[in-house]
Amino acid sequence: MGASIHYKVMRAPKVTLIDYGIGNLWSVVSAIKYLGAQVDLISDPEKISRASILLLPGLGSFRKGMEALKDTGIDKAILRAVNDNDARILGICMGMQLMGSYGSEDGGAMGLGLIPNRVERFTKEELKGNKIPHVGFNTVNFSDRKGLFKDFPKSSDFYFTHSYRMLLEKRNGIHATCVYGEEFLAAFEVGNICGTQFHPEKSQTNGLLLLRNFLQG
Amino acid sequence: MLKKRVIFTLLYDNGSFMLSRNFRLQKVGDLQWLKKNYNFSKLSFSIDELVILDVTRTERDRKKFLNHVRALSEECFIPIAAGGGVRDVEFAHSLVNNGADKIVINSLVGQSIETIRNIVAELGSQCVVASIDAKKVKNEYMVYTENGTLQQSFSLQEWLDKLTEIPVGEVYLNSIDRDGTGQGYQKELIEFIPVDFQLPIILSGGAGKYQHFIEGLESKKVDAVATAHLFNFIGNSLEDSRIALLKEGYNLAKWDVNNFESIKDIFSPAEKSSK
Repeated sequence: MGASIHYKVMRAPKVTLIDYGIGNLWSVVSAIKYLGAQVDLISDPEKISRASILLLPGLGSFRKGMEALKDTGIDKAILRAVNDNDARILGICMGMQLMGSYGSEDGGAMGLGLIPNRVERFTKEELKGNKIPHVGFNTVNFSDRKGLFKDFPKSSDFYFTHSYRMLLEKRNGIHATCVYGEEFLAAFEVGNICGTQFHPEKSQTNGLLLLRNFLQG
Repeated sequence: MLKKRVIFTLLYDNGSFMLSRNFRLQKVGDLQWLKKNYNFSKLSFSIDELVILDVTRTERDRKKFLNHVRALSEECFIPIAAGGGVRDVEFAHSLVNNGADKIVINSLVGQSIETIRNIVAELGSQCVVASIDAKKVKNEYMVYTENGTLQQSFSLQEWLDKLTEIPVGEVYLNSIDRDGTGQGYQKELIEFIPVDFQLPIILSGGAGKYQHFIEGLESKKVDAVATAHLFNFIGNSLEDSRIALLKEGYNLAKWDVNNFESIKDIFSPAEKSSK
């Protein structure tokens, strides 16, 4: 093994960006390309199920997001890729929320269930006078400084914009939290399943570094 | 802790970027000029967010504007809010599909709350920024729309109530009196914002130097400060402003600009194999 490393050329990771008609995909594409990786926008469930690196973006309401995934059959394709083929996946913002078990937004809906956590709106009591949506850069505290959070200091600033948050009921794997009135789940890496409530593609070099870590994992 | 934000606003008029003074526009340069003279990608590291507004006074060429939004969003890894002439859900979608993270509405508030509700239903409230152009008339602030040409019969207070009720995600509050003057933000306007106002406020109109940002950042009511003053913040001025504000302990986000070059094309096979 050791002798061959010298000749080993790092291949550009090929990222499948899941296109289900929701979200600002362009920014994610720009960020991945900036890192020198390849990225394809894919809406065909068959192709998604065979991908090895998936990115799930998202925008709007949880219920509408899940409906869009179900109507296109992308929900099952994601589960097949992640559970059966060990594809690595990163959910961003609403994309991360959709990976949870349940979201109460807009009448409520079951999520993909890749992680058990639920998604609920910030409550007035917990916000302690803070405004909704939670928008802007906020400090993210890492549980570990490896994997998704490699090469970061103990905490780092990322850009958020959301009114619902993932509850901290289960803390498996490597994770990160953020405080906005109360503490909520800001990011996680559980095996091949990763998510960020913040937007790495909108968080200057901090976000680019995190995306690099995801692609290296 | 949630950080405050420094926002730069680009005013766009049919392919050119403009300097505005009390809503009178002066052409400064086009996209090539902006990229060349500003090194836009580098400049973006001194701000937290970019706002791009189509303030074209003649008929708007929407496709051309979308192309500009898209071009500006390349190699600029910060949130972008874009607007000007948003009248329907379709165009709001087009902006998002061309690199905007949020859309900015203004005159639409006076025209169709229903359309705004539809946009919010599609994209989420966090995706909609309501821009308000306010002007002091006698002892009250009145709202103007249509690039500041049409006085609405509503006071600023009534307008803010409408927006809270929808609700939109943020309010971009611009002083027509101070617009482009470089004399500093209008303190009375800050005082006018209700203490318990529920939506994040971006304050605009009047910033000419970094000390003016402080006037906004020091107010608990203000979540972000914006400037559209191309000339006053040309060259290293925005960068120096941010460094000074951080040094003075203002609560702004931090990132390591040096990583930008070191991380570029890190996965590119060509780069690696040439070593």
